[in-house]
Amino acid sequence: MSNVSMPAFSAVRYVSATAPEGAGAQVLSVRGLTKRYGTHTALDGVSVDFHPGCVHVLFGENGAGKSTFITMLAGGNPATAGEIEFGSFLGVFDSVVQARAHGIRAVFQEFSLVPQLTVAENIVLGEEPRNGLGILDLRAARVAAQALIESLGFDLAVDARVADLPRGKQQMVEICKALRSRPKVLILDEPTASLSEHDAQSLFKLVRKLREEGTAILYITHRIHEITLLADVVTVLRDGKLIATVGADTPHDRLIELMTGRTMSNLFPQSKAKIGLARLELRNLTLAVRPGAVRVKRVNLVARAGEIVGVAGLVGCGKSELGQACFGLWSVKQGEILLDGEPFAPKHPADAIKRGFWYSPADRKNDGLMLGRSAGENIVLSGSMWGEMMGRWLRPRHERRVLTKLAGRVAFSASRMSEPVSNFSGGNQQKVMLAKGLAQDIGVYVFDEPTVGVDVGARPAIYQHLVELAESGAAIVLVSSDLPELLGICNRLLVMHDGEIVAEFDRAEFDEQRILEKFF
Amino acid sequence: MSASTMQVRNAVSVKEGFGKKLLRNREALALPLMFVAAVVLFGWLAEGFLTIGNLSNVARQSVYLLIASMGQLVVLVAGGLDLSIGTTAALASVAGSMTMVGVGHAMPDSPAVAIGAGVAVSAVIGAGIGLVNGLGVTLLRIPAFMMTLGMSSVVFGVALFVSGGTPVDGLPMQLGAVFGFGSLFGVPIPSIVALLVTIAVYCLLERTRAGRHLYATGGNQRAATLSGIRTTRVILMAFMVSGVLAAMTGILLTAQLGSGETNVGQNLPLQSIAACVIAGVSLAGGKGRVVWVLLGTLLISLVQNGLDLMQVGAYAATIVVGAILIFAMAIARQR
Repeated sequence: MSNVSMPAFSAVRYVSATAPEGAGAQVLSVRGLTKRYGTHTALDGVSVDFHPGCVHVLFGENGAGKSTFITMLAGGNPATAGEIEFGSFLGVFDSVVQARAHGIRAVFQEFSLVPQLTVAENIVLGEEPRNGLGILDLRAARVAAQALIESLGFDLAVDARVADLPRGKQQMVEICKALRSRPKVLILDEPTASLSEHDAQSLFKLVRKLREEGTAILYITHRIHEITLLADVVTVLRDGKLIATVGADTPHDRLIELMTGRTMSNLFPQSKAKIGLARLELRNLTLAVRPGAVRVKRVNLVARAGEIVGVAGLVGCGKSELGQACFGLWSVKQGEILLDGEPFAPKHPADAIKRGFWYSPADRKNDGLMLGRSAGENIVLSGSMWGEMMGRWLRPRHERRVLTKLAGRVAFSASRMSEPVSNFSGGNQQKVMLAKGLAQDIGVYVFDEPTVGVDVGARPAIYQHLVELAESGAAIVLVSSDLPELLGICNRLLVMHDGEIVAEFDRAEFDEQRILEKFF
Repeated sequence: MSASTMQVRNAVSVKEGFGKKLLRNREALALPLMFVAAVVLFGWLAEGFLTIGNLSNVARQSVYLLIASMGQLVVLVAGGLDLSIGTTAALASVAGSMTMVGVGHAMPDSPAVAIGAGVAVSAVIGAGIGLVNGLGVTLLRIPAFMMTLGMSSVVFGVALFVSGGTPVDGLPMQLGAVFGFGSLFGVPIPSIVALLVTIAVYCLLERTRAGRHLYATGGNQRAATLSGIRTTRVILMAFMVSGVLAAMTGILLTAQLGSGETNVGQNLPLQSIAACVIAGVSLAGGKGRVVWVLLGTLLISLVQNGLDLMQVGAYAATIVVGAILIFAMAIARQR
């Protein structure tokens, strides 16, 4: 059983150049850390060393044990077995307070901010400066918060109410809070998941600065390109076991192989579609301004029948807005959209679907699905207006037949059709979304992040489906933050930056490094 | 040793599983349990409760609340809430009555025309109030709670204004004779109306595309919009259905009372919401079924009837209905 895991070799040789061997430099050693829930083992004897002045990425699928691992390091979850050695400490952390006392701080995806308070009040929360009378000194708090924000190089207004900030900025407040006590070990759990391009860049800068100052950084990410940008060492976890600790220069397909346990070549099916006429055309498209969103400007895009066109870029570069604009969700200021050569100006998604255009949103839980209703009901929802099930009255028998057919096309188990969608994993929820797009007659599909939160193991079925759609003559626009998948299945790739298309690559000229450069 | 601890753990987990299952179905169990408890309790305490005569009386009393609750159900499923149904019933009562009286004077020989005109006027008023509620909720994005609360006051004021605050008398005799106390094959006409309404709402919610759209809009409005559903129209429709059914309740109550009055339907908002909530209808929208609401309505009518028979007075009934609502909310909230 245990022969799947390769011996973990020391990370030291990758970092000896960057790690300052000062007197205070301590190595955080984790030995045989294990967590069991009943008979289920979430984490199985993981041993790994974290060095000061080193960015150590934890890489793995959902459920690989990454979150369990860092929660135990941060003291939020007692370990079943194993020990942690850090300076004078030997044992396991019982509480977050204890871990903090030893200089270990974590920034999780769930925030610990009070939304009604200002940025400054949140940053000093629990350690508020007081004046001689013991009364809260708000001015001192503001000054301290301002100094901290400046030293970290963030762009944050100290007097803004946290509730009014976008998620990315809230993330930065959270990081400020964690860094106020100058931790020796900083744990970041998918910090860029909600950051805009600009904020992500300042975060990367900050991480590099902390590394120079000798902080040990544990960085969890799903985005493989961040490994290239930031990491010194990568530890891959799979099914709660440590698979390998390797250098950050390990090729990406090798990392994915380690993460999934299979080779890259089975991951992406190859399309045999014949490229036909242009089905979707955006000509010089400029969208109206909306507060809090980047403005999409002068975009030209063509998607032909049988083609999968990728749109890449960082979060907040405007790539999602592009698909939404064709779905009647944004007002077009200038330029035009052509669908199969005809002008196309939808005012509501209903208009777009009627013309054969489908947009599959990125946020499955909020925008895509009615979580409390059954999978079947979700799938036929729009089909009951434009598809085979159309009619004033429901036709249960006909509906069942159609559902079975659609389930087969997206490899979804038809026996789970009556379960509420909230019971499903990300992969199965995405399959429900794909089936939804099939329930009516569609010629152009825009998929916005169709694999976000979907295990790599469940992704091939989704890619296979996109390729089959293309082969049946549809034009597909794939908006994604996952560069490997774009490189894997797209015929063409556009890169967006700050609302504009900055580069276009044909499949023959795909080069990860060159494409990544265009992101920033 | 480890094997035996495993066994113990398994036994515990099976037990937990059963308990958890009960706990999860608490919402579904609460209503039948309260139903049985009410029947047993009043059968024991209230004299003459468990007689055919009294129980058919309960059925007859409950039809007004039933019709109003069906409208409330449709709005709740769509993610809204309608607090204006009580005063809508009141306005429908006085305006419908005044129309009947007026047309009755003009054409004394054809009471059917007068009644028809009154019913039509009140239906238009109900639909109009629903439309205003719906427009406020969708276009102005006012929370349904505030919109319908404000509307409730506006409508009540209009009802007082047009009627001068006094009952509207002189209704056609036939109104009371048919829609108040008439019966067809031994079944009271109001009960037949309520039955037809219930069947219609059942068909709407569970058998039509429009029903799917109501559940989808209440379940997740953004997802519904992105599926191509024009959710604004769906919400407008829901409020208009509720308004029309409230107006219908108002006319039936008028027929029973024999005059148009501004104080009919005072308790409808609270009681209809209580009937829906104990029936497991979600105040967040997207969840709720007709059959359960039918039971919920009957429960509230049973409780009122039982308390009446015990001669504890109408005040106690008000207390108990409020308590039932709070209890039902407490059950729905604990997850």
